[in-house]
Amino acid sequence: MLLTSVFIAAVSLALFWMAAFTLWWQMHAWRTPETLAATKFAPPDGGREGSFSLLLPARHEQAVLEHTVERLLQSSHTDFEIIVIVGHDDPETAEVAERAAARDPGRVRVVVDTHEAKNKPKALNTALPHCTGDVVGVFDAEDQVHPELLTHVDHAFRSTGADVVQGGVQLINFHSSWYSLRNCLEYFFWFRSRLHLHAQKGFIPLGGNTVFVRTEVLRTAGGWDPDCLAEDCDLGVRLSSAGKKVVVAYDSDMVTREETPGSLMSLLKQRTRWNQGFLQVYRKKDWKQLPTPGQRMLARYTLMTPFLQAFTGLIIPLNVGIALFLDVPVSIAFVTFLPLVTALVTFVFEVVGLHDFGKQYGLRVRLTHYLKLVLGGPFYQVLLAGAAIRAVWREQRGRSDWELTSHVGAHLTRDAQGVQGAQGIRDIREDVPA
Amino acid sequence: MTSTLPVVTTGQATDVPAQPNDARNTAQDTAEAAARAAVQAVPGKAGDGRTDKTGDGRASGRGPGNRWLTVRPVVRFRRSRPDLLLCGVLLVAILLVQGWNIQHYPTLSDDEGTYLAQAWAVQEGDGLAHYTYWYDHPPLGWMQIAFLTWLPSLLSPESMTVAPMRFTMLLVSAAGAVFLYVLARRLWLPRWAAGLAMALFGLSPLSVVLQREIFLDNIAVMWILLAFCLAASPHRDLWHHFAAGIAAAVGVLTKETMLVILPALLVTMWRFSHRDTRKFALTGAITACALIGLFYPLFALLKGELLPGGGHVSLWDGITYQMSRPGSGFILDAGSGSYGVLQSWLYYDRVLPLGGLAGAVLLMVTLRWSVTARALAGPALAVVILTAVAMRPSGYLPAMYVIQALPFLALVLAGGAASITHAVLRRRRGSAESRKLTVVRWTALAALAGTAAVYVAPHWYDGNRTALTADANAPYRAAASWMAKEVPDPSRARVLVDDALWLDLVHAGYEPGLGAIWFYKADLDPAVTRTMPGGWRDLDYVVASPTVRRDARDLPNVRDALAHSDAVAVFGEGEDRIEIRRIVTAAAKSTGGTR
Repeated sequence: MLLTSVFIAAVSLALFWMAAFTLWWQMHAWRTPETLAATKFAPPDGGREGSFSLLLPARHEQAVLEHTVERLLQSSHTDFEIIVIVGHDDPETAEVAERAAARDPGRVRVVVDTHEAKNKPKALNTALPHCTGDVVGVFDAEDQVHPELLTHVDHAFRSTGADVVQGGVQLINFHSSWYSLRNCLEYFFWFRSRLHLHAQKGFIPLGGNTVFVRTEVLRTAGGWDPDCLAEDCDLGVRLSSAGKKVVVAYDSDMVTREETPGSLMSLLKQRTRWNQGFLQVYRKKDWKQLPTPGQRMLARYTLMTPFLQAFTGLIIPLNVGIALFLDVPVSIAFVTFLPLVTALVTFVFEVVGLHDFGKQYGLRVRLTHYLKLVLGGPFYQVLLAGAAIRAVWREQRGRSDWELTSHVGAHLTRDAQGVQGAQGIRDIREDVPA
Repeated sequence: MTSTLPVVTTGQATDVPAQPNDARNTAQDTAEAAARAAVQAVPGKAGDGRTDKTGDGRASGRGPGNRWLTVRPVVRFRRSRPDLLLCGVLLVAILLVQGWNIQHYPTLSDDEGTYLAQAWAVQEGDGLAHYTYWYDHPPLGWMQIAFLTWLPSLLSPESMTVAPMRFTMLLVSAAGAVFLYVLARRLWLPRWAAGLAMALFGLSPLSVVLQREIFLDNIAVMWILLAFCLAASPHRDLWHHFAAGIAAAVGVLTKETMLVILPALLVTMWRFSHRDTRKFALTGAITACALIGLFYPLFALLKGELLPGGGHVSLWDGITYQMSRPGSGFILDAGSGSYGVLQSWLYYDRVLPLGGLAGAVLLMVTLRWSVTARALAGPALAVVILTAVAMRPSGYLPAMYVIQALPFLALVLAGGAASITHAVLRRRRGSAESRKLTVVRWTALAALAGTAAVYVAPHWYDGNRTALTADANAPYRAAASWMAKEVPDPSRARVLVDDALWLDLVHAGYEPGLGAIWFYKADLDPAVTRTMPGGWRDLDYVVASPTVRRDARDLPNVRDALAHSDAVAVFGEGEDRIEIRRIVTAAAKSTGGTR
């Protein structure tokens, strides 16, 4: 009995500290008014010096590509080029891209990726030699980019001397389903808050788009890792391990808007891919070059998080059951409740976060959404656990091909939705940052 | 080599400084930011409201948007030498006044004995009490007493009795007094007013008497003050607010009456949090407080004692008992119990309770004009709530009720004094005021201060001289000593005794619980009455202190024991005397001794 008690207490305390740290980091941006203010873009001073090469990998995305390119061209910055990367086996998308290039040949170019097996890092690497700008930026074909973004990013590069600037990405369609609600909120907490902590600590897994890197830094680093399932995270880890300065900025009116995966299965696949990617990055050991033990701990912990999270989700109910139904001393029972306490605090902050999300984006969050958020929590946890287990299993079996996820353009404004409504759901590869 | 973007804006008037991760910068910059944020709350009004300059280190001026700014650099307490000095000197004075003669005055109270005995039970590993714990109060209070007295009782076990262990309360008083000073500074009171608040809180004869005693309320007040300090933290850090919630919960679990002060804490937190992070800070604090608080019912649940049931105590019954305690009448109704309690407070000091109340009223009335009043809205609200609760005609008003009001009374009294001083010195003062008028202002202030001092000093001198010199506990010591020396075989004797003397008897060799018996347990605790089927005949002695004689009216076994016993020793005289009475039974008469 004593042994059981000690064991349960040890597990509970470990879980408690884990959850507490995760919570601490998740709430980073709201810690003080000063930290919150520091997460924003500084207002541009009107000056301008850098030029941009914006990479836009597109694959079977003829429906949304044109709109995306048009919107990018509306950017207020004057010195940028758009390089659309299409596959040699994807004539429909290539046609749209060529059309856009013909309309504005000075600013839009098309690069064809001829790799047999295609993935995003290979596409990006294909385009890298063609970049003429000082800074390479990455977007996805369905991204809605704010016209002022480039000007702000330019200013951020100049005023901070950064090597990398990561802008905010936000899933918007929280009303689509119970899991998209949680998915949106995950993004909110990640880009609004946690990434800033990573930037501050000097270890950062970058996002998959709205990420800007000085071209020579990117070339020196050898571009993206074509074999990694989370090439964005990997790039961030490699650059921060090499001591490059990363700056993160989040402005709700300047985030890149995206949509959640269209079905539960595609969300599971997407999450599996990220998890597997995180595992790969962990095993590549680039993070071991980080100078301080604290940074290495943060790296280790961050890359392991999906798996710890899965574990926590399973243990908490078990723990409470033990406390209530087994005859353990009251003090031990108290300890077993600690992880639940942190979980509840996290829940409450998520509810407040949802409120803030609604406020920031002018979206109407109803009572049912809050209820969905709370009730969906345990089920989402199951999904995350499933994705984590699946990722480990796939990695063990050596399967590292890209699984396709589909999306339906729910985040786009009405004019764009007409297009995708006609097209229906297609299987297209989507890269969403971790 | 990475960092977040350093340049930021939050709006017109609140440019927030760069590099939030640089602690030293933040320290100064936050002060600026806090000062500027405070500005927004001060609309441009005609009159002196716009330049409510109540203290040192503040300046006023016109800011963007034609608003009058009140710039209040935040005090860095740990680095401010004058603050440390003032607080340190006052602390020494408080410790001297409260500590000197602490074991002799005031009279040992039954409650002190109860809590210390239960702390002793915790130390001994006997659970939460040596009798069945029945959810009378949450146990966290005496668990802390057990912690505080642990080292001294280890060094000298026989000192684990009420009078000597009062010295550990000095730690609580000291912490509370320092927290109060810090809080006063964080609520923007000038240095002298913070010192005044601390002196009122620690040196008022009423405080001296009550804070010397081993009451849960004193410990709970310390926690609540800590919670207020954290709520008004100049960092406006989410986790400081979270910690404030935890401290408040610990306060409530120490003494549940602290519950009524929580709204005042919330008000303070609201005022001192930033608009952009407020909703996270406040919900975080409330969640923390609620979750920690829930551990108490959880504890009852785990022990299977949450709801009433056959043959066991329950949290529900405990709460029901506390809520249904017979009322002590309307506080202003001469002749009611509550009135008596009020008079007992006013006997020790009138300045703090009545002056504090006046201060609270003044601050509430001037809420619109005075920055000080707005900063002190939380403490003023606490005074108002506590007054309202005390005014309930049907409520039960215990003597220690005033303890939880003391720090807030001190704060609002000092705040009121600061407001008046400001009004006298600066109201309608032009930029080029004549020297003559300035002299008039200072003379008026000196007159006011002088009057107050003349009124207060003699009262306080008398009250504190008694506290420093009187010996109210000689009868208790004599009784304890008699019981230790004159009873032939303490380990086999059964004695009814009040809680205050109980530990003395235990150290003298009496069996805790069934040998040395808390007198009312002889009637109220089935586990005790079971062992005395013959009622009073199964007892040997009654140590009849005033408490025992008073409560015996409602306790048949105790009443019988008093009736069937002879006084064998009497200490002290009159109402306060302590009698040691030996039970007279037929058997005892024939053998002439104890069993």
